[in-house]
Amino acid sequence: MTQQRFTFPRWTNLALPAIIIVGVTTPLYIAVVVAYGFSPQATDVGYMPEQPIPFSHQLHAGELGLDCRYCHNTVEETAHAAIPPTETCMNCHAQIHPQSENLQPLYESYTTGNPIEWVRVHDLAQYSYFDHSAHVTRGVSCVECHGRVDTMEVVYQKETLSMGWCLQCHRNPDPHVRNPNLVTQLDWGLDMSAAERIADSASWRKLNNLNPSQDCSTCHR
Amino acid sequence: MTNLIKQIIDDLMKPVFEDLRATPLWIKWVVIVITCAATIPLALIFRSRTSYSDKPKIHFIQNMDNQPKFVSQEPNALFLDGRAMRPKIKGTIAQDGMAGNTHKFMGIIDGAWADTYPPSLTVDRDFIRRGQERFNIYCAPCHGIGGFGDGIIHKRATQLVETGVNGTSWVAPKNLHEEVVREQPVGQLFNSITNGIRTMAAYGSQIPVDDRWAIISYMEALQVSQNANPDSVEGANALPHKDSSNEGSGE
Repeated sequence: MTQQRFTFPRWTNLALPAIIIVGVTTPLYIAVVVAYGFSPQATDVGYMPEQPIPFSHQLHAGELGLDCRYCHNTVEETAHAAIPPTETCMNCHAQIHPQSENLQPLYESYTTGNPIEWVRVHDLAQYSYFDHSAHVTRGVSCVECHGRVDTMEVVYQKETLSMGWCLQCHRNPDPHVRNPNLVTQLDWGLDMSAAERIADSASWRKLNNLNPSQDCSTCHR
Repeated sequence: MTNLIKQIIDDLMKPVFEDLRATPLWIKWVVIVITCAATIPLALIFRSRTSYSDKPKIHFIQNMDNQPKFVSQEPNALFLDGRAMRPKIKGTIAQDGMAGNTHKFMGIIDGAWADTYPPSLTVDRDFIRRGQERFNIYCAPCHGIGGFGDGIIHKRATQLVETGVNGTSWVAPKNLHEEVVREQPVGQLFNSITNGIRTMAAYGSQIPVDDRWAIISYMEALQVSQNANPDSVEGANALPHKDSSNEGSGE
């Protein structure tokens, strides 16, 4: 009995070019997916959680021009910029909009004493110890990390808050520094040219002798 | 020349096309499906990089992003009220707290409103500047930058009352230049800021003690600015000025 000889079908000629093409594109594809998909720009930026009360920063901080510190009053003293207690809202809302449906969680919180369960938007990795007071009192404006909150109807995360992003500013602080009295004026400096802004930043940095540290232990301890 | 190039390409590609024609259909479909499927992650990545989402953040590599500890203002199911940060126990004070110093912490000396600033504070230019900054943050929204009771919250609330939205009611904030306010001893002003007065809420928990005194010093500066005695300025009477006795005569 003669064994029939096996001949590779004609299309197997394409195997070699196919292997080369797949071999080149697959690593490239994986690199693109990891670099773009795993970056905080994809995973963190644009996080816009729904809050228990549809509080509008655009109205309160933008239109009414309340200073950031009216509510986040611990920001100059402590590491954590506190979410205001219900009492702070009640300073005005005891009289304003008492029958609003949107504000019912506020009045419920005020009568029961249970806190309103606000959702944290900016959530740093817990091995980094960021200190708001250290930045704000030295002239790093809220806007540098949080964006134009005074134009946000719903607050979202604007920047990556990654270590590389922090270091960018720590290595080259200009033009991110300003007069410490202007830190809460989020729209300040928009009419300045880039060169003017850098010069202003550099002068304040020199005046206050700011040399941001790049030591690991500054943020990780 | 172009014909020659075309000829070469045709000669090179001809066997490839023939190979392709000989390829079974299922292999072609597998290639097409895999190629299409590979664009899905790319599209998802593009979407997540360019849009807003209320979905919780995804961290593929957790490292120690979230640790078994409680950070500021986090919930903790261990306590009945669900707070990780424990509220101050009623009746306790901080180490640098009152300890009998009713002057500084209550504005009271021997049961009467204090007329002076606490001796531990120096009322100087920097102190008043600090007060100005704090006044503009905490007081100006209602009382106005100049203290005339015309702040933006007052304006907004007045509007809301007129349109009758959501049962808004509003009592106009005090004009700080009125005589009743001007004549109050600083201790009484301090008490009003700390504990609130009439419809004004208490600001004791929101503004630290020293800042409250600084605000009062700035308030006094504001009041002086609006009720200055011309005699306090040297040669002021030599300057042309409006004669107040003519006021209201229609001139």
